[in-house]
Amino acid sequence: MTELATVVFAAEAGAHLLDAPRSTRFSSFQRRFDEAAYLRDLSARGIAWIARSDVSFPRRLAEIHDPPPGIFVRSRTALSLEGLPTVAIVGARACSSYGMAVATELGRELAAAGVVVVSGLARGVDAAAHRGALQSGTTLAVLGCGIDRDYPRAHAVLAGEITQRGWIVSEYPPGVEPAPWRFPARNRIVAGLAQATVVVEARERSGALITADLALDEGREVLAVPGEITSQLSRGTNALLRLGATPVTCAADVLDVLGVEPPPAPEPAVLGEPLRAIRSVVADGSVGADAIVRRTGLAAGTVAAALAELELLGLVTQSDGLYREVMGRT
Amino acid sequence: MLARTITHALVGIDPRRVEVEAHLQQGLPSFAIVGLADRACQEAKERVRSGISSAELEWPTKRRITVNLAPAALRKEGSGFDLPIALAVLAASYQLPAEALDGHAAFGELALDGRLRPVPGALVAAEGARRSGLTHLVCAAESGPEVALAGVEPVGVRHLADAVAYLRGERDPPELPPPDDDFETLAGVPDLADVRGQERARRALEIAAAGAHNLLLAGPPGTGKTMLARRLPGILPLLDDESSLEATRIHSVSGVLAPGTGLVRVPPFRAPHHSASAAALIGGGVGSPRPGEASLAHHGVLFLDELPEFQRPVLEALRQPLEDGIVTVIRVGGRAVFPARFQVVGAMNLCPCGGRGDGAAQCQCTPERVQRYREKLSRALLDRFDLVLTVPRPRANDLAGAPGEASGPVRERVLRARRNLRERPPRRDPAADDLLTRAVERLPLSGRGRARVARVASTIAALADAATVEAEHLAEALSYRAPAELVE
Repeated sequence: MTELATVVFAAEAGAHLLDAPRSTRFSSFQRRFDEAAYLRDLSARGIAWIARSDVSFPRRLAEIHDPPPGIFVRSRTALSLEGLPTVAIVGARACSSYGMAVATELGRELAAAGVVVVSGLARGVDAAAHRGALQSGTTLAVLGCGIDRDYPRAHAVLAGEITQRGWIVSEYPPGVEPAPWRFPARNRIVAGLAQATVVVEARERSGALITADLALDEGREVLAVPGEITSQLSRGTNALLRLGATPVTCAADVLDVLGVEPPPAPEPAVLGEPLRAIRSVVADGSVGADAIVRRTGLAAGTVAAALAELELLGLVTQSDGLYREVMGRT
Repeated sequence: MLARTITHALVGIDPRRVEVEAHLQQGLPSFAIVGLADRACQEAKERVRSGISSAELEWPTKRRITVNLAPAALRKEGSGFDLPIALAVLAASYQLPAEALDGHAAFGELALDGRLRPVPGALVAAEGARRSGLTHLVCAAESGPEVALAGVEPVGVRHLADAVAYLRGERDPPELPPPDDDFETLAGVPDLADVRGQERARRALEIAAAGAHNLLLAGPPGTGKTMLARRLPGILPLLDDESSLEATRIHSVSGVLAPGTGLVRVPPFRAPHHSASAAALIGGGVGSPRPGEASLAHHGVLFLDELPEFQRPVLEALRQPLEDGIVTVIRVGGRAVFPARFQVVGAMNLCPCGGRGDGAAQCQCTPERVQRYREKLSRALLDRFDLVLTVPRPRANDLAGAPGEASGPVRERVLRARRNLRERPPRRDPAADDLLTRAVERLPLSGRGRARVARVASTIAALADAATVEAEHLAEALSYRAPAELVE
């Protein structure tokens, strides 16, 4: 049982270790290290430790070529991914409103089908995927810093919700500061935990592409959401598609790859006018409210009311003033 | 010989009675002003001396002249004391009959050639005169209309010699030109007809006008946020007598009243730059407190462009007026309470570079920068905006359309809605209640947010002339709630 000592030693030395090193420094550290006391302290803080040798260590993560010695888990419930389909949704932090909307929708639809959505709690696509998943199911966030930190700070509330209804996981013990080199290492866990990785928006040479590469290395499925060919934010995803990644046009495309049965489609809502007319305008692509007014000839107030109702019905979303149709609800 | 004139000092926007006593004695020639006079007031000596000589009156030589401004404990500021000092000196040197000044107050600045110059705050000085039981106020001709508003007979003169001639009874009080009536019309206010497209924002502006709601417009630069905001006063009701007097008083003290105009009837529009200090915005300054932009916008519109660029303490300072409609300013020169009941229109970009929400530009901001930019608006401040709107950049062909509806008809609807809200405020029908409950369950809507939506919904119903708030009105109100990306 040297795994816990290894990660604590690595954290103190500021190094990244996968196995116990053969050094006198480590052996003297190990002699001093009181594992039982450390574990007591962890559980007092609501943190669990799962060593690689433990039976409850996620099997898929153990299969990658450089699995961590163990993982820390912060959650109300014990981590058990056995038998659960898991999908990673990753993408740019500085994503567009399109990326944000797609990530939220994918997260929600996949979680509704019983999939555990894995991501990295970063801004942009990651947070949107977590938020979407929390609306209908469960999600898992992998940190690139110590398990006790909510990084970035702005997502403290989101992190709190995830610990209530999902899991926060890190290979680093409490107290480890976020550092740039730890994030690619975090990505291998994101990719490692998931059966398939979906890239929503990614620039060239971005962190999301690293995750996709890691997933490919482990023989996992990689999917990508097509984007506008003129947008920098779609360069990475479109390049993946050219290399043969499976395109994602709706949540069902992802469920297909996993072999998961999609949940029964909800009863299509019966819409009266003017909701139907407005919905058909929105279906043609993202539009502002003014353009809808112009195309339907309806009054601005009527359009505003109809858009709010469509939002409440979950058929339309809005970001930065542009309305777009929710995927997979046609 | 001792002579006395009455004038009024301004403390904030309140008049304080000041007696100007001039005492001439035998002795070494000197001229002293005592009684806590500030620098501008001390310099009155030179202006008064030159003014009297230029008016072909006699400056008492070989006399020791002492002018006392009583009460001595009150700090006196500004140049409005020139005229009362000159008149007191003239009366003390027997060039004016002492009883001529009975029932008269005086207020004005002297030029070196004896002409009279208007001084900010004539309206307030006149109100002071009325409260002191005086019937006439000798002032610069330009200040006449302002003085008349306070119910005091203005003696508007152009030159010190005219004032003396009048007080000696050699001449009737000079005729004043009738007050310019133009200010009562909306002639100079920009019209909504200039705005093309922007249907949603126009609609929101109309609702904001009807319900006196605060409005926040977010969108990339060049989407007409400022243009729309400037057109809000044009669709608001004109100020009633009392509000108008309150607004005029503040504008008079601040010296922003256009010369020759009377009451401020059109709701004021103030657009302080985002580099403004808290003192500039809510009032302050060295010496005695002066009203800030928030008070100048009293009964009108305070437009805060580039809202997140304002300093955080400045924005937080706005919370008192937004809550209570007044600001309390405490300075060395005293404590003042200024009315500041205004409607806020805020405008902001969606990110610091302005590229977000703009199809033609790529946003270069890092997520952290966008986050920091948006975090500048505290939840508490965001909570004050009943209507929040994200305006995407219109496409070119949207702007080529016909000109929009003019301000006139919009204003008619606003007036009717305000009457409806006053006389028969609409109640929510069950369907609207049901929708509101569903919205609270599904959307991140706080208790305050819920109340805001309900408030906006009744304004929308009033605009539609409906007796009850229906589901459709409530749904529209929901579409103007703060979007999640600003709240989270």
